[in-house]
Amino acid sequence: MFGHIFVYRLKVLLRDKSMIFWTMIFPIALATFFNLAFGGFSSQGTFGTIPVAVVLESDNIAFADTLEKMSTGESPMFKPDFVTPSQADALLSDGKVAGTITVADTMALKVNQSGISQSILKIFLDRYAHTTRTVSRIAAIHPESLQNMDLTPVTFTKDAPITTGNLDMTLNYFYALIAMACFYGSFFGLEEVSLIQANLSRRGARLNMAPVHKLKAFIYSSLASYTILIGEMMVLMAYLIFVLGVNFGSQIGLILVTVFIGSLAGLTFGSFIAALVKGDANMKTGLLIGITMIGSFLSGMMFAEMKYLVQTKFPLLTIINPVNLLADAFYALYFFSTYNRYLLNISGLLIFTVIFALSTYWVIRRRKYASL
Amino acid sequence: MIVKVDNLVKRYGNLVALDHLNLQVNAGEIFGLLGPNGSGKTTAINCILSLLKYDKGDIHVFDKPMSPEAYDIKKDIGVVMQDVAVFNELTVHDNIDYFCGLYIPDKKERKKLVDEAIEFVGLSDYRKFYPKKLSGGLLRRLNIACGIAHKPKLIILDEPTVAVDPQSRNKILEGIVALNKQGATVIYTSHYMEEVEQICSRIMILDKGKTIAQGTKDELKNMISLGEKITVEVFDITETQLKEIEALPHITSVIYDGKLVEIRSTKSKNNLEKVLEYIKTEKISFGKIYSELPTLNDVFLEITGKELRD
Amino acid sequence: MQVFKLCLKIFKKNLPVMSIYFGVFIMVSIIMMSNNRPTEQAGFIQAKTRMVVFSEESSPLIDGMKEVLSDIAVFEAIEDDENQLQDALYFRRISYILRIPENFTEDFLAGKNPTLSVTSVPEATSKIYIDMRLDQYLNTANIYVNQIPGIDAQTLNTYTLEDLDYETPVQMLEADQTFGEEGMMPYYFNYLAYTFMFVVIMGISTIMLVFNDLNIKRRNACAPMSSTSVTLQFYLATMLFSLLSWALLAGLSLLFSRNELSDSNTLAFILNSFVFALSSSSIAFLIGNLVKGREAISAIANVFTLGSCFISGVFVPQAILTDSVLKMASFLPTYWYVRGNTLIAISADFSKALMIQLAFAVAFFILAIVVGKKKRMAIEA
Repeated sequence: MFGHIFVYRLKVLLRDKSMIFWTMIFPIALATFFNLAFGGFSSQGTFGTIPVAVVLESDNIAFADTLEKMSTGESPMFKPDFVTPSQADALLSDGKVAGTITVADTMALKVNQSGISQSILKIFLDRYAHTTRTVSRIAAIHPESLQNMDLTPVTFTKDAPITTGNLDMTLNYFYALIAMACFYGSFFGLEEVSLIQANLSRRGARLNMAPVHKLKAFIYSSLASYTILIGEMMVLMAYLIFVLGVNFGSQIGLILVTVFIGSLAGLTFGSFIAALVKGDANMKTGLLIGITMIGSFLSGMMFAEMKYLVQTKFPLLTIINPVNLLADAFYALYFFSTYNRYLLNISGLLIFTVIFALSTYWVIRRRKYASL
Repeated sequence: MIVKVDNLVKRYGNLVALDHLNLQVNAGEIFGLLGPNGSGKTTAINCILSLLKYDKGDIHVFDKPMSPEAYDIKKDIGVVMQDVAVFNELTVHDNIDYFCGLYIPDKKERKKLVDEAIEFVGLSDYRKFYPKKLSGGLLRRLNIACGIAHKPKLIILDEPTVAVDPQSRNKILEGIVALNKQGATVIYTSHYMEEVEQICSRIMILDKGKTIAQGTKDELKNMISLGEKITVEVFDITETQLKEIEALPHITSVIYDGKLVEIRSTKSKNNLEKVLEYIKTEKISFGKIYSELPTLNDVFLEITGKELRD
Repeated sequence: MQVFKLCLKIFKKNLPVMSIYFGVFIMVSIIMMSNNRPTEQAGFIQAKTRMVVFSEESSPLIDGMKEVLSDIAVFEAIEDDENQLQDALYFRRISYILRIPENFTEDFLAGKNPTLSVTSVPEATSKIYIDMRLDQYLNTANIYVNQIPGIDAQTLNTYTLEDLDYETPVQMLEADQTFGEEGMMPYYFNYLAYTFMFVVIMGISTIMLVFNDLNIKRRNACAPMSSTSVTLQFYLATMLFSLLSWALLAGLSLLFSRNELSDSNTLAFILNSFVFALSSSSIAFLIGNLVKGREAISAIANVFTLGSCFISGVFVPQAILTDSVLKMASFLPTYWYVRGNTLIAISADFSKALMIQLAFAVAFFILAIVVGKKKRMAIEA
């Protein structure tokens, strides 16, 4: 009986175009849009060499030396262009350079807008002036020590990375997207419940008439749905990893486990809504989409910062939002070396799944209906 | 006794859908459940099938109490519901095979049964078709095949011919009779009295959840006073002549609408002869003249005072 | 006016679904409002980034460090907890975490070159920015420690801060130019594109689905009504629907940015969004003529609106999108609508963007009619 129901259910689901669209094609399309839109986003805020125009009004060997040092090497800070004042203004207004340094007794900066590149240029020049002031003060009070003065900068900082992953904010969009896809799996759960309930569909009535244990039939049929959902999720993950190159870290095993649990949570969520909410299929579908979308929104699928806002301002919302628990599980897996946060998310998700499943059972175990 | 229902009461809020319904179906019968829309036919069927909770009563199928878990009973029942319940994603063959498979786990046996069912409903040319490509009548036939492929001992058909073209309807009715001849007991609900009259060996008429009459069609017709209905197309007739026809023996009423005279009579052997005789002697010129025996509609009309079909 | 009335009835039936999208628009707009940025600034403003300092000791050296950093950074108060710090860094609430260990001052004054631990977004510009300032402070202090042996902490502090208290003069290319954000109005109007497009595609193509139904078409053809009248009423109803949706969304956008209403650009934004409404409606007609089936319509409406909005810069600024994506997007009116808004915001000439949108509107409309005719002929044959 298992094989019979399972195989036919697969057959039916694989031909259900609109189901396949919403649970697989739509997330893939969305991921593609994310990728197109965020292609240049992940490098936002990453430092790139600052182009600068330099106008020499007087020779300043010490400054030229410093600038030279900052403009060579593997990742130079500046890319200087020595020009005349009028050329400099042209470059500046065309946006070809971030600013113009005029080298004279005191340095001056000319910019076209306020920004971090301009601010870096400014503190670079400040720094030159500051050092000059330090040297002259020492020359004034301790002239004897000027000879053996060492101006080689010392590094007083050392990097202590918080995570091995790179802090690419676009990752969160994809994590939330996977969570959304898992919860779109709720459409399967909805379908399964309406297929087994005589008061929800005619086919349900027919099944109730067959000499088959209702709960068993439900589980066999749902397993087929789960298989398809997992298959779709694997396609989505493969697309994200191999085609779009989204980084999930190295713990492939746990990532798959997370997808499995997430899909189960999504499926049971759908059956939960289908079993408990009164109303027609359209209204239930609307509810599923609505809840999933709001959940994804709060998990930062439209604006990554939303997730942080919710986390810091309304922490309760992160716990009662299963979509966020799932998205955060991926996040925790990628960014943390310990499993505390991951396990917390997964336990929350499992609790939700159990609640969904038990409530579904509580409704569908009844076999007689008050009305059809 | 195939089905035995005692004192079945089903309420929807204040509405009493079934009011102390008693019903027996014997082996080999085609049992017709006749009644207007909303009379409780489908509710009765759903209660018999243990799909609906009911407030009171006992239901036995195959002499065993019926319950949702009574799988040994369910395996011998085939149900065809009012609405088509098939998977649009499966072909004609796969749909029948799927539903049959819920009853018959053995693949070999099932293959034979499915092929027979397809043949039986005349869908051999459509095996690979998806339901969306089938016309309404063919879809109904598929719906029936899904319900009966496993050769059940009891077949319950709930208005299987609603919105079906005449050709498909005849095919369906012939099929039901054939199934019955093969040994299946049939419960058939409909609000088409002609269908019920045509195929059912025993009929129960329901109205407002109550049995108003049951028996064979002849028994039912014998229950009422109407014996014959004679219609005469006349070209000219006087009030006096109409009165005189009404005064003839056994005649209960005469209605004239300006063209046709409808004469109702109680049961008697030669009513038509007497009417004809009168027309001849009075030299009333007439066109068509015909006599009808009472229909189930007349039965329903006489008992409830309203037409079966609205 | 039977056809007209029917159209309105169908719109009404679809209202609940559409109101979800209006709701999302309002929600996102409110969130954007809370994210408000300073609206105007004149002259050069030194950039400031957000950071956290955890110090296990306090001394004049460290006080000076904080003072110097405060010129270019805002100190945030975040609990010293791995989870919270990671999240804050990831979501760019802060870009720099500085930890000052115990005995740092002592070791520093002893010339032992102790180190501070820094956690930051790797390779971020903001990290380099803070690094430069921090290095400058400590190196200056270090020179004094090396050159003036036994210098006391107080003097060191005074000298270093005095030296660092100099700012390079910065001149603006155009002295009277104002900079920074142009206000929030362009954002609301940009985002309007998403909601409007979805609602209009759903609304119009759902109606066309009903009218393109073969049986209804035949019945309409039999009715004693000229087909011109039917078509006219149909367009009238859909136009009314588009217009109402546009008015509602544009009105909401104006309501949210009511502080900026007096700006001279307001009318231009309204005009631009109106032209966009025309081009979107044309697209909706085309989709309605091409697609059959309610399921397919909602699929197309979702994918098309989301897709075009993502690559046209509705959700992510166009400046961040790569050139190839923008090239692709320039085949969509949405791109030119966003471009128009960007130009309007800086009071530049946006007539080209407007004309292109109009051209799109006409082209799609003609296409829709041609496709519709073809389909009708196929049905008749």
